[in-house]
Amino acid sequence: MADALLVVEQLEVVYQRVITAVQGVSLRVEKGQIVALLGTNGAGKTTTLRAISGFIGMDDARVTEGTVTYKGERIENLPPHGVTSLGIVLVPERQKVFENLTVAENLDANVARVVKGFDRKRLAASVYEYFPALARLRSREAGYLSGGERQMLGIGAALMCAPEMLLVDELSLGLSPIMVSELMQRLLAIRRELGTTILLVEQNAQVALDIADYGYVIENGRIVLDGTPERLSSHQDIKEFYLGGGSTRRSYRDVKQYRRSRRWYG
Amino acid sequence: MQLTINIVVLAAIYALICCGYVLIYRVSRVMSLAHGELMMLGAYGLFATAGTFSGHPLIAIAVAAVLATMVGVLVYVALMRSMTGEAVLAAVLATIALGIFLRGAMVLVWSAQEQHPIRLLGWTNSAVSIGETARISAAALVLVVVTALAYLSLYFFLKYTVWGIRMRAAGQNPLLAAQRGIGLHGIYALAWALATFTGGIAGMLIASDTALDQTMIIIGLKAFPAALVGGLDSLLGALIGSLIVAAAEVLMIHYIDPLLADVVPFFVLLVFLIVRPWGLYGSKEELDRV
Ligand SMILES: Nc1ncnc2c1ncn2[C@@H]1O[C@H](COP(=O)(O)OP(=O)(O)OP(=O)(O)O)[C@@H](O)[C@H]1O
Ligand SMILES: [Mg+2]
Repeated sequence: MADALLVVEQLEVVYQRVITAVQGVSLRVEKGQIVALLGTNGAGKTTTLRAISGFIGMDDARVTEGTVTYKGERIENLPPHGVTSLGIVLVPERQKVFENLTVAENLDANVARVVKGFDRKRLAASVYEYFPALARLRSREAGYLSGGERQMLGIGAALMCAPEMLLVDELSLGLSPIMVSELMQRLLAIRRELGTTILLVEQNAQVALDIADYGYVIENGRIVLDGTPERLSSHQDIKEFYLGGGSTRRSYRDVKQYRRSRRWYG
Repeated sequence: MQLTINIVVLAAIYALICCGYVLIYRVSRVMSLAHGELMMLGAYGLFATAGTFSGHPLIAIAVAAVLATMVGVLVYVALMRSMTGEAVLAAVLATIALGIFLRGAMVLVWSAQEQHPIRLLGWTNSAVSIGETARISAAALVLVVVTALAYLSLYFFLKYTVWGIRMRAAGQNPLLAAQRGIGLHGIYALAWALATFTGGIAGMLIASDTALDQTMIIIGLKAFPAALVGGLDSLLGALIGSLIVAAAEVLMIHYIDPLLADVVPFFVLLVFLIVRPWGLYGSKEELDRV
């Protein structure tokens, strides 16, 4: 129970002192797992990840309730660079590269977690191995990269922080299905070879559940469902709203509130 | 010839002062309007150390330079740090308040009397002849060399060292920089330290060339248009802006009226604000690419 790598408990986040974006989100991620956090637009996925990775003053956001625990240490009020130095690194949804820096500089800028025998050059080399496309673009300004290349650079730069855990926000955003499955395979390889734990936020439930070990569904700032990928994909409501299947088309409002399923994990 | 030398010297003065404006603006979007005062504080620092370590001019200069650097860190930690993440205007106002405070404090401590730190160091500011007719004072010559060195080292620092790259990264996107493990406070303190270091050196050299009194604040103020003309976030722009402003000023003084000296930089600035509001090398409105 208590030995999960990351435990989020009853998290509540308020923007600008009045807008509650997340209320009572709880989730846990075991070491070495890939966990998917699914939900529609505005459900609170990004807010949850941002709360884990830390806010800065100009976000005007605050964790008002609940806790985030990483390796037994409370981190909900740490600044982002503090969280990063503990080993949790976010690949943000939107601004994930420094546009006026070259690809190589984007990799160099990061401050890595303190690890024994850390070698920046070797790590950079392995990033270029995971994403060969970046190697050709080394001296290109990141502002000119395509969406897919940006996503690769976002992940690559996060790897330069020597993370134990990656938080990835909408890998699939604006990318072709081929690029998405390609990147998902890269994440699997990263987990396999570097042992990195991954919390993956997605609207595209199918691609996320394909590689995940466990999944949560968030709606209106609350976790409404969680379970193994098999269980989630076979769930009627998930089928209908996230996987595009389902028997009859019902309007979104007609659906009764998801039955809060009991956790049968961990 | 003499005119060219005058332009180069004045441009070097402005440029050395400008790198402080540019560094701070570049990382934090804050215009430090206390720069003239901080520069003067650096000069008084030399005045003080020259008195303390009399007979050891090099030690006095080194200690004064270290003090000037520490002042920057202190200003950031004590005052600007709490402004991080607040509206930029609040931070700019804080620098104005700091400037007023420093001005008053310096008059109290050192009086408004003209001082000559170089004499305390035991040196004289003799003139060097260049060619047949032109002359340059030793202090001005050193200033030109120091400015060139400062710009070269800053260029290499920002371009090729990890901390320089981090500084640029933090200036572009502080949130992402923090998420990538870069401590913003460290970067901002570093920018302030570099700014008061270069500004302090500029103050010391100007005080050595002419004298140390309240007019130094005006010189600091006149350098601000040079930085703005260059675009405020580019070192190359600051260099060229300094040249333009210095050339305009020297030529106006020579051909029209010496009384114009203090007005010219602001006049040049006005022209630029109309023609090219983002400055020579400043970034235009950033395009959002998705
Ligand atoms: N900076 C902010 N200030 C105020 N409200 C915000 C802010 N950021 C997000 N919100 C609000 O919080 C809610 C949750 O937003 P969030 O970005 O977490 O959703 P999301 O699940 O990531 O959605 P998407 O899939 O569209 O990215 C939304 O209603 C949004 O309008
Ligand atoms: Mg989002």
